[in-house]
Amino acid sequence: MSRARKPGPMLQSRLGRGAALARLALRIGGRYVAGSPRLIFASVERRGELRHELALRTADDVVEELGSMKGALMKLGQMASYIDEDMPQTFRSAMARLQHNAPPMTPELASSVVVDELGDAPERVFARWDPLPFAAASIGQVHRAITREGRAVAVKVQYPGIARTITSDVKNVALLRRVAAAAFPGLDTRSLIDELGERLREEVDYRLEAENQEMFAGYYEGHPVIHVPHVVPELSTARVLTSELVAGSRFEEVLEWSQPERDMAAETINRFVSRSLYRLHAFNGDPHPGNYLFHGRGRVSFLDFGLTKHFTDEDLAPLADAVRFLVIENDGDGFRVSLERAGFLRAGAPVPTSAVVDRFGLFYQTVFRDAPMTITPAYASAIVRRFFDAKGPLAPYSDVPRAYVVLQRINLGLYAVLGSLRATANWRRIAEEIWPFVSGPPSTPIGEAEARWEQQRQGQGLSLDRTA
Amino acid sequence: MMEPLARAYEHSVAERPKDGGLFGPGSIVWRVHRDRSFPLAAIRSLMVQALHPLAMAGVAQHSSWQRDPFGRIAATAGYVLTVTYGDTAAAESAAARVRAVHTHVNGTDPVTGLAYQASDPELLLWVHAGMVDSIVHVVQRYGRSLDAADADPYVAETARFAEIIGVPAARVPVSVAALREYMESVELRQITPAASEAIAIVLDPPGLDDESRDLWRDLGQVAVGTLPPWARSMYGFAEPPPELLERAPVRQLIGALDFAFESLPGVLEARERIELRMRE
Repeated sequence: MSRARKPGPMLQSRLGRGAALARLALRIGGRYVAGSPRLIFASVERRGELRHELALRTADDVVEELGSMKGALMKLGQMASYIDEDMPQTFRSAMARLQHNAPPMTPELASSVVVDELGDAPERVFARWDPLPFAAASIGQVHRAITREGRAVAVKVQYPGIARTITSDVKNVALLRRVAAAAFPGLDTRSLIDELGERLREEVDYRLEAENQEMFAGYYEGHPVIHVPHVVPELSTARVLTSELVAGSRFEEVLEWSQPERDMAAETINRFVSRSLYRLHAFNGDPHPGNYLFHGRGRVSFLDFGLTKHFTDEDLAPLADAVRFLVIENDGDGFRVSLERAGFLRAGAPVPTSAVVDRFGLFYQTVFRDAPMTITPAYASAIVRRFFDAKGPLAPYSDVPRAYVVLQRINLGLYAVLGSLRATANWRRIAEEIWPFVSGPPSTPIGEAEARWEQQRQGQGLSLDRTA
Repeated sequence: MMEPLARAYEHSVAERPKDGGLFGPGSIVWRVHRDRSFPLAAIRSLMVQALHPLAMAGVAQHSSWQRDPFGRIAATAGYVLTVTYGDTAAAESAAARVRAVHTHVNGTDPVTGLAYQASDPELLLWVHAGMVDSIVHVVQRYGRSLDAADADPYVAETARFAEIIGVPAARVPVSVAALREYMESVELRQITPAASEAIAIVLDPPGLDDESRDLWRDLGQVAVGTLPPWARSMYGFAEPPPELLERAPVRQLIGALDFAFESLPGVLEARERIELRMRE
């Protein structure tokens, strides 16, 4: 929600102007536009796609490639792409090009990081070590290995020197603001840049990610369709993260699967989002499809917890109330009060409650009716467009509180993913199963399996729900 | 403003060159001329070069400068990149074209009343020296491709630039000290209205929106901070505050602009072609 957006005509003239600096990146035209704009951040997961011939050979190369603001700006663009709908197609594709082309480390450089972090060369730390990475990560790369105990693992190795340069880059808030203002005119970038700084500082310390991943892995242990790989703590440090290796199909492949398979995959992703939010009070704030691997019949592995956001009870209560008032109790005034409590809407704004319901109700469209509904790409982008329409009467009175910036990305990212899958489900029934204030009965085969899993866990006293 | 530069970059670095060109992938010139601080060096070059009234008059009176300053700058950048990374034939024909154009560039500078010819080796040497001195200064200070030990060999390598445009080899300085000594020895250095106007456009290009202008002005301030004191005082610029000139924030500023530049079509690919040939 970009409440500070300037009026439309002005925005347009600014975009149409011939000479801008950083924003040139936004206007490179249709040449590189990817088919599914939201999906281009999928990580490069095929070894052959990595540019080994351009590999980074020294820490100095790394700093040249990703330091001096480049890594930070790439991240900023990625975050902004979730909340800025005006120009992102070209911008996202430009970013994807840069990200896609980010070269890997040479085997020697990657090995030197492992030596620094785990005390010995990877060939000795692990029973087997693949010196060539199989995937790129935002500030590192991922190698396959087999531990001495015989476990197949994915080892994420951070670029040397990147932590220091990124930490220093995000401190240059003045420059980031200028670049953001030039790149995203009309968007209130202050909270975005605060969030960027916080996220990047977290992201450079893999121990935090390991902790978050373990929390999710523990919570979803034994779940029938949701799988989160466990971390191998003794082989993980601030710059090396070792977790179970997962094999599965990539999102691009799933798009070719039968519709029932895609529906089930979508249902699982949707359940993962809702359940993590409402029952675990946490979410992986990077909902891009490169973070999913698919195994058929609705089974999905969730990877990459570098952007996990935890919600307090206070953060979550008004959101839960809003949904309850709007969808269950059909109480517009209650809905409005919840939004005001959360900080989305200024209290006492001189606008009718019907307008509030119309505007903010958008996010709840899929759960309004107790009926099957298909989410198409057109629907997903229409929602987002309407959501960001700055001409509405509420614009002067609305805001995105800091605590919810990531949540916004989750929601928009989720719509995009479900839209790409053209998924059909009775989203309302599924949501009711998970909403703690309803705890409805299972409504699908996956829901039934999930209910059995929950019973089992409760039987063993294992439930980790924060609201159980 | 950046698009013409991006196109120049793309076209100057051929996909299938016939040979390694005048310098070759192992040269210091190749390494230095792809440094990300290059745009800053270019701004400083223009500011220094413009302080020779006859060189400035030639540009102001004859080139497309008035109509399209950034197109003109991109053309110069394309020339430098072609001579650097193009094959021998491309470099030589680019130089021949420039020499041919220069034969028509003659006139009288309105300020000094002196006649000039663009093909005058003394003017060409001044322009060459302004470029090389700026690259040495800026890349050493804000780049990563030129350490102190390589500075003299770099200046010596670049002598080819001067020679192919018509400066006798014996006149070209081949060390940093000789280069600076030469520049200090040039007596005809002064600010003219043409130079002031030209540099005002470079430092504050028309058509930028507010946010982009702030970024570009910061870069211009850094360029001012890198000028030799005599040049800065001719322009009447105050010395920028030292914190603006620190290496880390300047590299961040350069990096941000370079990020935008690199995302334009063709730039990344051209850079990769250079990198791959240097690794062969």
